Amino acid sequence: MLKVNELHTGYGKKPVLFGPSLEISKGKIVAIIGPNGAGKSTILKAICGLIPVWDGKITFEDSCINDSTPAKNVKRGITFCPQGNRVFDELSVNENLQIGGIYLKKKELAGRIDDVLQLFPMLKDRLKQNAGTLSGGEQQMLALGRALIPRPKLLLLDEPSLGLSPNLISTAFERIQQVNRERGTAILIVEQKVRKVLKICHKVYGIKLGKVVFDGQPEQIRHDERLRQIFL
Amino acid sequence: MNLMQLIINVIYAASIYAVVAYSYYFMYSARKFLNMSHAAIIALGAYLAFEIKKQLAWNIFIVIPFSVAITAIIAITVFLLIFKPLQKRKASSTKMLVASLGIYLVLQNLISLIWLDAPKSLCSWPVKRGHNILDVYITNEQILMIVVSIALLGVLLLFSKKTTIGKSIRAVASDSVLADVSGIDSYAVVLWAFAISSGLGGLAGILIAIDVDMTPTMGMNAFMMGVVTVIIGGVNSILGIALAALLLAITQHFGAWFIGSQWQDAIAFVILVLFLLFKPEGFFGKKVKSATV
Ligand SMILES: Nc1ncnc2c1ncn2[C@@H]1O[C@H](COP(=O)(O)OP(=O)(O)OP(=O)(O)O)[C@@H](O)[C@H]1O
Ligand SMILES: [Mg+2]
Repeated sequence: MLKVNELHTGYGKKPVLFGPSLEISKGKIVAIIGPNGAGKSTILKAICGLIPVWDGKITFEDSCINDSTPAKNVKRGITFCPQGNRVFDELSVNENLQIGGIYLKKKELAGRIDDVLQLFPMLKDRLKQNAGTLSGGEQQMLALGRALIPRPKLLLLDEPSLGLSPNLISTAFERIQQVNRERGTAILIVEQKVRKVLKICHKVYGIKLGKVVFDGQPEQIRHDERLRQIFL
Repeated sequence: MNLMQLIINVIYAASIYAVVAYSYYFMYSARKFLNMSHAAIIALGAYLAFEIKKQLAWNIFIVIPFSVAITAIIAITVFLLIFKPLQKRKASSTKMLVASLGIYLVLQNLISLIWLDAPKSLCSWPVKRGHNILDVYITNEQILMIVVSIALLGVLLLFSKKTTIGKSIRAVASDSVLADVSGIDSYAVVLWAFAISSGLGGLAGILIAIDVDMTPTMGMNAFMMGVVTVIIGGVNSILGIALAALLLAITQHFGAWFIGSQWQDAIAFVILVLFLLFKPEGFFGKKVKSATV
């Protein structure tokens, strides 16, 4: 479904990615792991169209999306939750969800919001509340919910566990698995909580200094002493 | 001066601050830099209304929307010619400020060239100059300003909360990157915000000029008070701006009552400094988010 081929990009003139290639097929959960500053977030930003691709090729469902904008990608079926479970603090929960489907017709949008609320019933009691006053776990739910409104085929998640207590991290991962299972959404997830993400993903890429240094099954990392030292 | 008169004066002053501050609010929340050129846009609105009224002799209530629209169009042209290329190059807020100061000087000098520096008056239509109700003196022009400021409060609140553009502007103000990845074209939203702000700025200039004569530099004074009001109001809240305008007007007028009216501007800036020191997020502004759960 999504293919990234020898991606080169960076910020200003400074290169950050040196040709990593990755692939995710329909309905799968694929994890990207690696140390701080490796370029994990940068990969997701390039895929969703936030930063330009310098070289290489990103294809989604057989069309090249190198020059696509985030807005076009949303309509195409790729949505993105940036690092830190960001929500619009000054907007209500309901408005946050509405923004997720800002290009939809009113009636359709209302239906989509109902769908997401069915998935995350806890948000129902908080619709009028400002998103900035939600707890960390609730904000994570809302960030995820916002990205689900367009019914994406591919969901890009950047460290959904960031800032959550261990208990909440487990619930967050369960939610992510639930989305994948119930809706068949493919998920490309960047995570530092490696042990936990290895339990839910079908495939994993290890990134170091802007390059793929490992790709394979989650079990391989768990059983390989050398890989465990690098990534766990 | 009696107390009732003082209260009316306070409400009138607050109305001016509020209208100017509303006009600045949208552009500032969408793209956070001190846009000095807005001061010239305020004056431009007044002068355009003056010219249209003189040339076409229309009723003032037709002149107003017409001038407001032309002001917005001119401001958007300036935006496209100067701010857009700067924004493309990811210019810092300081660079944008310096550019806007340049635009202000050019526009203000153009106004001086075209209409000269002598004060001009907008209100030459036949109305009774004022009313005396229970020992309180108030003019029609002042009543108009107060009514418009209250109506604007309602209209802008509805606009912000109910319309797609209003919500998009608030989303971009809150987190423009998140707005982008949510599918909002944040550039188009910034353009809308500038258009709305400039139109309202023109309106503010006209309303001020209806009550006092206009000069090419009239915008700067109004603009500075508007900026102070927006900051005290907490940059993210229209209701906060309304409260801030009232607070400013109250302290200025009661302060002037006790220590003399030459201190009015100083009082405004003392309040600004107090807010920046003790409540930098303003009345209803963004609270600093706690880092962990
Ligand atoms: N907006 C930016 N401007 C300039 N450099 C940046 C920017 N964002 C990231 N970088 C740099 O790019 C490199 C990769 O950053 P990236 O955010 O992709 O790392 P990461 O793997 O996601 O790290 P982390 O686990 O800490 O989130 C880092 O050296 C970082 O300093
Ligand atoms: Mg990161």
